[in-house]
Amino acid sequence: MRIFSVSHKTAFVVDHCPYMAESSRQLIECDMLTKSRSQGVIPLAPVSKSLWTCAIECSMEYCRILYDVYPTKKLVNYIVSDSEVHILNSWKQENQNTQELMTALAAVGPPNPRQDPECCSVLHGLVAAVESLCKITEYQHESRTTLMDTADRVANRGRIICLTNAKSDTHVRMLEDCVLETIQEQNKRAAGSDRLMPIQQCELVLVHIYPQGEETLVSDRQKKELSSVLSSEVHSVRAGRYLAGKLNVLVQQHFDLASTTITNIPMKEEQHANTSANYDVELLHHRDAHIEFIKSGDLHMAGSTSRDSGLKETVTLKWCTPRTNSVELHYCTGAYRISPVDVNSRPSSCLTNFLLNGRSVLLEQPRKSGSKVISHMLSSHGGEIFLHVLNSTRSTLEDPPSISEGCGGRVTDYRITDFGEFMRENRLTPFPESMVDAACRTPVERAKFQLERHTRYWPMIISQTTIFNMQAVVPLANLIVKDTLTDEDVLTCQKTVYNLVDMERKSDPLPISTAGSRGKGPKRDEQYRIMWNELETLVKAHVGTSERHQRVLDCISACRSKPPEEEERKKRGRKREDKRTKEREDKEDKTEKNGKDTEEKGWTTDSERLKGVMEREKDEQSECEIIKDSPDSPEPLNKKPRLATEEQQPPEKSKGPVSLLTLWTNRITQANSRKHQEFAGRLSSVNSKAELYQHLKEENGMDVHENGKATR
Amino acid sequence: MPTVVLLDSSLSMTRPVSVEGSEEFQRKNLAVHGLTMLFEHMATNYRLEFTSLVAFSSLWELLVPFSRDYNTLQEALNNLEDYDKTCLEAALQGVSNVVQQEWGTSCPCQVVLVTDGALGIGRGSLRHSLQTVKQRVDDKKFPLPFPFPSKLYVMCIANAEELQATDSMDNLEQLINLNGGEGQIYTMEGPLCLKSVQSMFGKLIDQAYSPFHAVLRCGNLTSDVQVFPRPEPVTIDEEVDPIPKTVQTEGDEIGTGATDDTEEETSTNQMAGKSPNFCVLLHGSLKVEGMVALVQLGPDWFGMLYSQADSKKKSNLMMSLFDPGSEPLPWLGRMSQLGPASDAAENPYGEDDSKSPFPIQPKHKRSYAQNVTVWIKASGLQTDVQKILRNAKKLPEKTQTFYKELNRLRKAALAFGFWELLKSVAELLERECTLLPDSAHPDAAFQLSHAAQQLKLASSGDSKYAVFEQNITPMLTDFSGGGGADRI
Repeated sequence: MRIFSVSHKTAFVVDHCPYMAESSRQLIECDMLTKSRSQGVIPLAPVSKSLWTCAIECSMEYCRILYDVYPTKKLVNYIVSDSEVHILNSWKQENQNTQELMTALAAVGPPNPRQDPECCSVLHGLVAAVESLCKITEYQHESRTTLMDTADRVANRGRIICLTNAKSDTHVRMLEDCVLETIQEQNKRAAGSDRLMPIQQCELVLVHIYPQGEETLVSDRQKKELSSVLSSEVHSVRAGRYLAGKLNVLVQQHFDLASTTITNIPMKEEQHANTSANYDVELLHHRDAHIEFIKSGDLHMAGSTSRDSGLKETVTLKWCTPRTNSVELHYCTGAYRISPVDVNSRPSSCLTNFLLNGRSVLLEQPRKSGSKVISHMLSSHGGEIFLHVLNSTRSTLEDPPSISEGCGGRVTDYRITDFGEFMRENRLTPFPESMVDAACRTPVERAKFQLERHTRYWPMIISQTTIFNMQAVVPLANLIVKDTLTDEDVLTCQKTVYNLVDMERKSDPLPISTAGSRGKGPKRDEQYRIMWNELETLVKAHVGTSERHQRVLDCISACRSKPPEEEERKKRGRKREDKRTKEREDKEDKTEKNGKDTEEKGWTTDSERLKGVMEREKDEQSECEIIKDSPDSPEPLNKKPRLATEEQQPPEKSKGPVSLLTLWTNRITQANSRKHQEFAGRLSSVNSKAELYQHLKEENGMDVHENGKATR
Repeated sequence: MPTVVLLDSSLSMTRPVSVEGSEEFQRKNLAVHGLTMLFEHMATNYRLEFTSLVAFSSLWELLVPFSRDYNTLQEALNNLEDYDKTCLEAALQGVSNVVQQEWGTSCPCQVVLVTDGALGIGRGSLRHSLQTVKQRVDDKKFPLPFPFPSKLYVMCIANAEELQATDSMDNLEQLINLNGGEGQIYTMEGPLCLKSVQSMFGKLIDQAYSPFHAVLRCGNLTSDVQVFPRPEPVTIDEEVDPIPKTVQTEGDEIGTGATDDTEEETSTNQMAGKSPNFCVLLHGSLKVEGMVALVQLGPDWFGMLYSQADSKKKSNLMMSLFDPGSEPLPWLGRMSQLGPASDAAENPYGEDDSKSPFPIQPKHKRSYAQNVTVWIKASGLQTDVQKILRNAKKLPEKTQTFYKELNRLRKAALAFGFWELLKSVAELLERECTLLPDSAHPDAAFQLSHAAQQLKLASSGDSKYAVFEQNITPMLTDFSGGGGADRI
């Protein structure tokens, strides 16, 4: 597993000298007579490719396979050589695709047979290739910069594939010597440069191409070390399909590829749509996809030899007709990109289109006997097809303990749905490289930061929470976790709070868990106290985020019925309360009148009127209150006649243990009968939205500012 | 990582240990004592490990196949019999077979060899095996290195001095080297007694069988977890980055993705089952929603969490580790570039959850996803020419496709320097023009001769007509009724 191995850089040097214009003498009949053609037409002469055309299309095929299997980090520099050097692309990743190379090749055109052969040579190209190998790639650069002190770990190796027509073995030796000399020269130069690196290892692959029907003048030679840096091999190949086969074998050797033939692919016949025949498709991929076969030594058992080239091996796997809508998860131990050997043949394109359309195909090892063993799966992700290796033996993950046997496994009221919602809100999405926020956080850091915010107060079980069981809290709970709040958001939060206040005033029941407590659970006012406390906890967790978050907390503190201590006092004091009511009312009346300022004028009158209603109510309720309250309640220790602000009084009263219905009916009746005029006046003075807050004004005088805003 | 315990039950293991004291121990008793300790440890702290027991002398026998039932293993250990001489090679071959049959060759295994360090004499001895290791034919290869990833731990019921007196130590070291250096030799310190055997096995337990405790963290929600099988360190590139990457014990959960694990030694069993645990919550929601969570295991190392159910409907939270690196799954893109969907200008999942930003499409399509032209086989070229001719016969209706196919061929021919083909196709089209029936639309003849002429010009290599990017466009004719005026 080395990124900077010899295959990191491949320099193609293709001979563009006049002799490459020679015909390969492989004839292709392109005037195929069809049945409908009238008799007597003389077919056109077959065409034949030049050595150049053969070299180009085979090298393009090499690149096609390479780019399919390794879209990044395996780079090609394409060089054409005649009387001068044409460098068709660079090591840059953005230049690595066949379309760009094809465009550049079209600009070069075929060799000119009339060019002076004396001044043309492939040597120019080889020299340029060595120079190019010394150039640092963006990956090498990146690694060197990140490694700093240990930058010397980044190696510079490469391969030169030279497609030429050599004169003789001596000529080949001359080419090799030239490469060796150039490497030595260039290494000296590179030692003193930042953008260049000396070549540590270079593989020279010389492919001698000669026309069909001719004897070769150059002999094949196995790989040989010419020096510690340079090794060289010579392949003497006839043009045409032999050359294609050779380069196919080479690309497999150079990039650790292996071949799999998918057999038994059922395909509809073009002519007879109702029949289907079985086809084979050969794919290339990294050989690790066969690791299981290689290691267990049954590569031969699983496979046969490829039809196209007698030399290389292919593993044959059988197509399993996919079950529809199967969403089975398999133990996948690896996924490898593929490239079809025969990319535009009909069976290949049928298979690849099937996969690109989102289907998957399981592949089975052909066995003469025994049960069927599924070892691989073909499937595409984002327009790329991968061969997935599935575990076909026993798995060590079998029979895992159930999660319910572990910690927390017996708790049954997890907020599963809520957390599902939480997960959906925290889903990830790719961001472009350039997008960094103000604090220079990468998107993934922002994601973690968001998780942190969203979980500051997140009870895991239903019985631990009240507010998250209340639909009414949702708008606030969703907003308060945000990093920034708008004024509108704050307003929504405030509305949520007012709504809760209203609920409390109406003594709406709360979804408080009664689990664990005997009887009916806590009393209504106690429930609201718990609810308010929890809401405060939630908002307090976010109060540091911004000033607007603080405003939400301020609103809660202002609106909630009682601070806890007062609640405590109130509880103890309730018994006495009624007796003192009258007295207190008087006092309060005075205080109120004294403390009244211009702003308050508008609503005090209203509340005074309401107070009248309340007082009457209280008189009616006082008796049952005494009965209901615990007789064990201790006397208040030193209950000071406090300067209670009147806005707290009505809710206190309304929370008396009278049934909601009674209370409401009484209120409505009284209000309707006695204060009818006033009601009408109120309605006319504010718009319909403000009607909700009208009560608030009465109950929570301090909120007059907030209220004003709401109506604005 | 399944474990094979390979226990030496040769006669030499019955040699008594000289101790001052009441009871007399054999080396075998010490070995059994040590293994009992190992099994007890596994039964309590490592209970998902599959272990098998193989005894060997000149032959080998699988006493207990891979199992999580440590009582059975213990029982087999207690009923161990004594046999003849030590013959390690055959036994290692046996281990190799047993493992491959059960787990294949990709599952990493740990082999614990327990021996007294007397490794046999003459043929079949380890010394003899190692001397001949280079002269093997293919089907008689030495079993090391094992075909599966492995660690070989040698537990010597002997002390180092004793082993160094003979060549035993050298041979054992050579054995580890043959296994690619994967493994370790443990010897006893001080006198051979129960205490020292305990300390030796204790070291093995610390090294190879310590449970992996971690903390799963999702913002402020955390849970102590044990990960099994233990994630082992990985070396990505031995040249550029030779230090193995280890999984950090702190995991961060990132949205549809992630959790980190942090090392903390908290006893997790105190409140067994009753107190709410984040893992259970996460598992439940992942299962219900059919989602996976990304988990970060270290810098540039990620994995995913999901609910995995077995055939018996028992499900658990499973963590799959991706290859270390910044882009382990190409269709997710760079992991560091995954951010909260709520930060995006538009909800990438759509308002009604109908969309997904994944998979990410690569910048360049793969060859099989684009209409590439390959003429390596004659049939490829013939098909392309046929397509043009077929469309030529249906002019002017098929003008668009005719020119599309024609331009595809033209481009490839120009890139491959195959001008001869252009000439040939031009001739074909000219002939097609002469063969047009009388009933043919007049536009057909114009288009055919226009196309033929353009191909001929291109085949001249004239820079004006042979521009790769430039397409042949249909000829503008007066026959507005046909498709002739259509632009491509």
